[in-house]
Amino acid sequence: MTTAAVRNAWYPVGLLSGLSLDGKSSLLLGEEITVFGSRDGVPEVESGGRALPVVQRFGHLWTSLGYPGKDLFTIPEADHPDRTLVDVGVVRVKCSPLRAVENFLDIAHFPFVHTDILGAESHPEVRDYKVEIRDEVDEVWATKVEFYQPQAAKSAGGGITTEYMYRVPAPTCCVLYKTCPPRPGEWDVIALFVQPLTEDLCDVWPWMALFDEDSTLTELIHFQQLIFVQDRSILENQIPKRLPLDPAMETPTRADLTSVAYRRWLKRQSYTYGAQLVAE
Amino acid sequence: MAADTDARWVPIAVSADIPNGTVVPARLPTRMIAVWRAASGDLYANADRCPHRGMRLSHGFVRGQTLSCIYHGWRFGSDGACQKIPAHPAVEPPNTINCGPLPMTEANGVVWGAAVSPAVAPDQFTGHNALRSLVIAASVDAISSACKGRRVDGTIRAQLGGQNTILLMNDYGSGEVQVIALVPSGISAPNGMKVSTALEVLRRTAEGMGDAA
Repeated sequence: MTTAAVRNAWYPVGLLSGLSLDGKSSLLLGEEITVFGSRDGVPEVESGGRALPVVQRFGHLWTSLGYPGKDLFTIPEADHPDRTLVDVGVVRVKCSPLRAVENFLDIAHFPFVHTDILGAESHPEVRDYKVEIRDEVDEVWATKVEFYQPQAAKSAGGGITTEYMYRVPAPTCCVLYKTCPPRPGEWDVIALFVQPLTEDLCDVWPWMALFDEDSTLTELIHFQQLIFVQDRSILENQIPKRLPLDPAMETPTRADLTSVAYRRWLKRQSYTYGAQLVAE
Repeated sequence: MAADTDARWVPIAVSADIPNGTVVPARLPTRMIAVWRAASGDLYANADRCPHRGMRLSHGFVRGQTLSCIYHGWRFGSDGACQKIPAHPAVEPPNTINCGPLPMTEANGVVWGAAVSPAVAPDQFTGHNALRSLVIAASVDAISSACKGRRVDGTIRAQLGGQNTILLMNDYGSGEVQVIALVPSGISAPNGMKVSTALEVLRRTAEGMGDAA
């Protein structure tokens, strides 16, 4: 369902480095859009003869079908000049954009879906962590998330207990901050920007800002793509397709408190695109 | 289309296609199910949906006498009850968490499933055994007509590849029919292959008939 909250949100529609001067057709919330690169000015997005608002940030072009009341969020931690910024590219997934975000917020699946990379079956426990909806910024945050990982990042030599923070700054975007093996005290930043094509089809644009001096860009991209292809095998096989906002339809546990808060936050702002409000 | 709540047996798979320690997806007319064989050889069926996050359980894995979801490893027993939530090793799962076990039975190398336990056993086909299963995108009428078959009690009897073949029908109700072919017990592998080839021809013929059938 396309509510004001849905239309007025910012969405990623392409990599700034990959825009076409001739224009490229795409979909946003089921509506046709055309994304144009620009040789010297600002890229443009058009829908039904109307020019849509645009923002260039995090290596991506962002637009909205409505009238965004606030600026696109920022990720100050990603500004450090030593960071490698990685445009991973796009992964098309036949799932609700909200299911894609929720999967990204979940750590309990690491041992089973990303076996011996992000998790190990011998260490499946999710210890209690802190979740809150920060009203002053209208974002969902999960902090003090700890998990044992056999190979937490391309730059991790072996198994470590990784600390995570999760942030949902917009309904179809999430940012993950995680322990950075080569730089104790700093956080690696991995974000997922989701473009809702329809309620059950999305383009996922992962983006990273890492401290990693040893891996090539290609290696970093391959690592993240491997992880995401493993996630896709889950996301395309969940029933129902749309994310149930009715708590009775699924069975959350303490490990799922981030997703519980995310669903509650979506419901509160009437963000229902890709969601299912009642059991069918 | 028959109601899913019918207490009747529906042919859903060939026994030999589900070795010990594996799980496969199958269908009753109105719902997806997961059919799995424990290490002991016992066969079980339940809803093809994990109650936790809705993941298809047919993508999961079987260990010992349990089926686990591939998403978070939730482990279910033969009674459908959740036995283990790996993220919380110290927690005993409440007995309200259940993946919905369904009745099933095996006879003549065919796996039969039902939404509600039928009062009687499925039909017996003495002297015949399951050869293979295939899905045909055509109506039962078109399939019957394409093989010049005879309709007997919901089955089609036909000569296929030179053998007296019995075709069991699982009509999905969506324009597709799962056909399970039974052939005389003990036929040779080459003769089984001939029937299999004839079934492929039958599929193409029935699908080519369209609405004309």
